Amino acid sequence: MSIIRSALREIAINLHSKPGARLITLLMVAMAFIVFNTFLIISWNLQNIMDREESLAGMEVFLERDITQVEGRVIGDLVSSLQGVKSVYYVSPQEADALFRAELPGRIDLLDVMGSEFRLPASLQVAFDGEAMSQGRIEDLSRSIRAMEGVDDAVYGESYLPGLMKTVTTIRRLVILLGIVLVSSISLVVFYTVRLSVVRRSLTVDIMRTVGAPWWFIRVPFVIEGIFMGIAGSAGGLALAAVLSEVLSSAVTHRFMPLSWIVLVILLGAVTGTVGALAGSYEKER
Amino acid sequence: MLVTMSGVRMSYGRWPALDKVDMEIKQGEFLVISGPSGAGKTTLLRLIWMGDKPDFGIVEVSGFRSDRIRKRELPRLRRKIGIVFQDFRLLHSRTIFENVALPLQVTGAGSRVVQKRVISLLARMGLSHRRNSFPHELSGGEQQRVAIARAMVGHPVILLADEPTGNLDPEVSREVVDLLLEINRGGTTVVMATHDPRQVPAGKGRFLFLDKGVLRGADQWIELEQKS
Ligand SMILES: Nc1ncnc2c1ncn2[C@@H]1O[C@H](COP(=O)(O)OP(=O)(O)O)[C@@H](O)[C@H]1O
Ligand SMILES: [Mg+2]
Repeated sequence: MSIIRSALREIAINLHSKPGARLITLLMVAMAFIVFNTFLIISWNLQNIMDREESLAGMEVFLERDITQVEGRVIGDLVSSLQGVKSVYYVSPQEADALFRAELPGRIDLLDVMGSEFRLPASLQVAFDGEAMSQGRIEDLSRSIRAMEGVDDAVYGESYLPGLMKTVTTIRRLVILLGIVLVSSISLVVFYTVRLSVVRRSLTVDIMRTVGAPWWFIRVPFVIEGIFMGIAGSAGGLALAAVLSEVLSSAVTHRFMPLSWIVLVILLGAVTGTVGALAGSYEKER
Repeated sequence: MLVTMSGVRMSYGRWPALDKVDMEIKQGEFLVISGPSGAGKTTLLRLIWMGDKPDFGIVEVSGFRSDRIRKRELPRLRRKIGIVFQDFRLLHSRTIFENVALPLQVTGAGSRVVQKRVISLLARMGLSHRRNSFPHELSGGEQQRVAIARAMVGHPVILLADEPTGNLDPEVSREVVDLLLEINRGGTTVVMATHDPRQVPAGKGRFLFLDKGVLRGADQWIELEQKS
């Protein structure tokens, strides 16, 4: 127990000495995290917009051709009992025909050309509960509807919003790439800061070694220093990004990240700090 | 045998700092290792506390062998060894008490035990009044006595002193050597490296000489001296 107390005192002494170099590292880590956080916020907001648009647009369920009106209404009732569905409107082939003609007045002859035998399929127009259903829930819903007897296909968002979809996917890839760059560069910055700290305190390290301090006792203050820089840097980056987000909120309406992402960002800081510090404080057998 | 070296060779660059060293150190003796600057005295002491391992040969200290010892066993060896350096190597941001207590604290000794041991040791060394001072407030002689107290606080079986008087004037040097002799009388083996063997009165210890990394007995040394 007393050795733990001694180790804690060493940590305190280490954190007390020469805050200058550590401050610069903190600033660098925080800056890196601001860029990362910005992309996270953009990604998060685009995802929100997409969810909302998809919810608003609802879903169109095409029924198979041999489905009668009665059968179609039964399927409609089934669909409306599903969770997340607000209302279902049955569109008969005649109505679909009329809608098609109304929407595309120039192409009336297209239907005429197909002959009197051709009929548009009956369909169900599904509206969702709540403004922002998540994409995942809409996907689940479409899967269960597609699996229903008499349903030909269910179409939603992806066909309405291909541009937005692509942007969100691109941003998401960019975030992952940035994350990798961030992890490696921050680890490196922490590595050199800890290395420097070890060199600066080499007399202490040498004395500790000659008086028989266990290796972990010598190393733990430096590792803690790295973890501290990772956590404080990522928290600082979050705080600065929050301030920036607040300042810009009047110009660009958006939301900050959810709590779970904030926790993940701090965790990322802690992990990169630990990796950098472990590498930076590594010593060969002596 | 407390320390055994057999066929030891140690080089930093191309030239060996130590070569063909065979020697033994018996429990309780006072060994003086002398020789000019660069002869390999510091290297020899480093091999004893296993700050380095020899390129060839084996160093055995209190049951630990240089070819078998593992990294995590090194602290256990070092707790049996006290080390004193020419430049004292005290931690300047800590008080005298904290400096002396360090070897006990890193082994996890309870604070009451530490308190008792450090206070009684400082009293024996005449440093009680300096307990809460910082190293830079002390004279060189006092700092070296603090360093010796730190080396002795964990009851080591062997005390290594590398040019302990190198930074001190003659009168203070004599006091430090007397202190080392007194520690030896208490049963602790002492190995002192010095470029000036006259610091230790003849008859008070065993004298070995290093000449460009090669170990010689006192008689061989005198022959060499006369020839040159
Ligand atoms: N860390 C080192 N790197 C390179 N050469 C060294 C190192 N330490 C000692 N030497 C060389 O080894 C030889 C012996 O040095 P040392 O053991 O310090 O001698 P002494 O303590 O007797 O003055 C010298 O030639 C010295 O230059
Ligand atoms: Mg030397």
